[in-house]
Amino acid sequence: MLLMLLTSAAVVGRPISYVGGWTFIEESNRQSTSALLHYTPSPSWSLGVRNEWFRDDDYAITSLQPTYLLKRWFGQDYQANVYLQGGLGLASGTSGNPLGSTGAGYAGVIADWETRRFFLGYNARYVEAGHFGDGAMQLVRMGWAPYEGDTRDLHTWLMVEVDHRPESKDPVSVTPLLRFFQGPVLLELGFNIVEPTPLINFTYRF
Amino acid sequence: MNTITSFLIPLLLLAASTAAWGQHEHEHQHEHQHEHEQTHAATDATAVTGENISFTDRLTATPEIEAALANGGNAVVADVLGVVCDFCAVAMNKVFGKQEEVAAVYVDLDTKALNLVFMPGATLTDEAIASLAVQAGYRIAAVHRSDAVVTH
Repeated sequence: MLLMLLTSAAVVGRPISYVGGWTFIEESNRQSTSALLHYTPSPSWSLGVRNEWFRDDDYAITSLQPTYLLKRWFGQDYQANVYLQGGLGLASGTSGNPLGSTGAGYAGVIADWETRRFFLGYNARYVEAGHFGDGAMQLVRMGWAPYEGDTRDLHTWLMVEVDHRPESKDPVSVTPLLRFFQGPVLLELGFNIVEPTPLINFTYRF
Repeated sequence: MNTITSFLIPLLLLAASTAAWGQHEHEHQHEHQHEHEQTHAATDATAVTGENISFTDRLTATPEIEAALANGGNAVVADVLGVVCDFCAVAMNKVFGKQEEVAAVYVDLDTKALNLVFMPGATLTDEAIASLAVQAGYRIAAVHRSDAVVTH
């Protein structure tokens, strides 16, 4: 069975918070469901614990996930970031999968550019999961806000995500989605129109 | 296709209604805030800045800011680079809100400004404000006090 390994990790919300901040991120897309809790000890990196369940392939990776801010650009009306992200952990079978546990790791790059009206994000990642397999993916996300919400307002974004997973039955897929954003809470609801699957992402920043 | 349609149509309707509601809330809050600011500028300018009305115009007067000013704290408004979303505001509020010198903090996305009011008799230096902003993930472009502007 071909592995369909990767998710849109970290395009959802900034993968590094303020110093001393905790962030919980849940993501569910056409291939996997994951939960990440990360802590930010420095403005330039964070460390999290992540569990990602690859539903069709009946296994999950539990990992320690560091994220490093390679470069941030500031402007009066924009912010742009490039992050490096990796993870090391254990892959284990689920739903009766007879394969035993094995070491797993992944590495990737995340880039975003954002104003109060427009969003552009890119994410690429490679995963190695031993006898469960390996794989790579990349995705682009574009977003537009129909109005500029101020502090504490409800922010609404219309977004579209295009992902490329070379080993998948449908290598390229498209997911239109809505992003709702208020204070420390972010919720995304979308639907993949190539491989009919809902996208549900949730972030809470403590 | 029916499955796709049944998901996409509610999503589009949800987007349209939420955007309209969000825009309405945004406009309503701004009307309310501008009333606050006008009242504040007319009545409390001397308390905030002495003679400097332009500084008062910079300050976003939320109820928390006004209460801290009424309690006798001095105010600072700092221009911030890179604040484009509510997560930015949350981060700044968390970092500055933990400082014992700070009585009230408000990040205004529209003016791209960090508004601080200190506890009576307390303050933070420009360097400390810049350092705390870095901890929140952002950068200070300028700090405005009642009688001076320091550009970083």
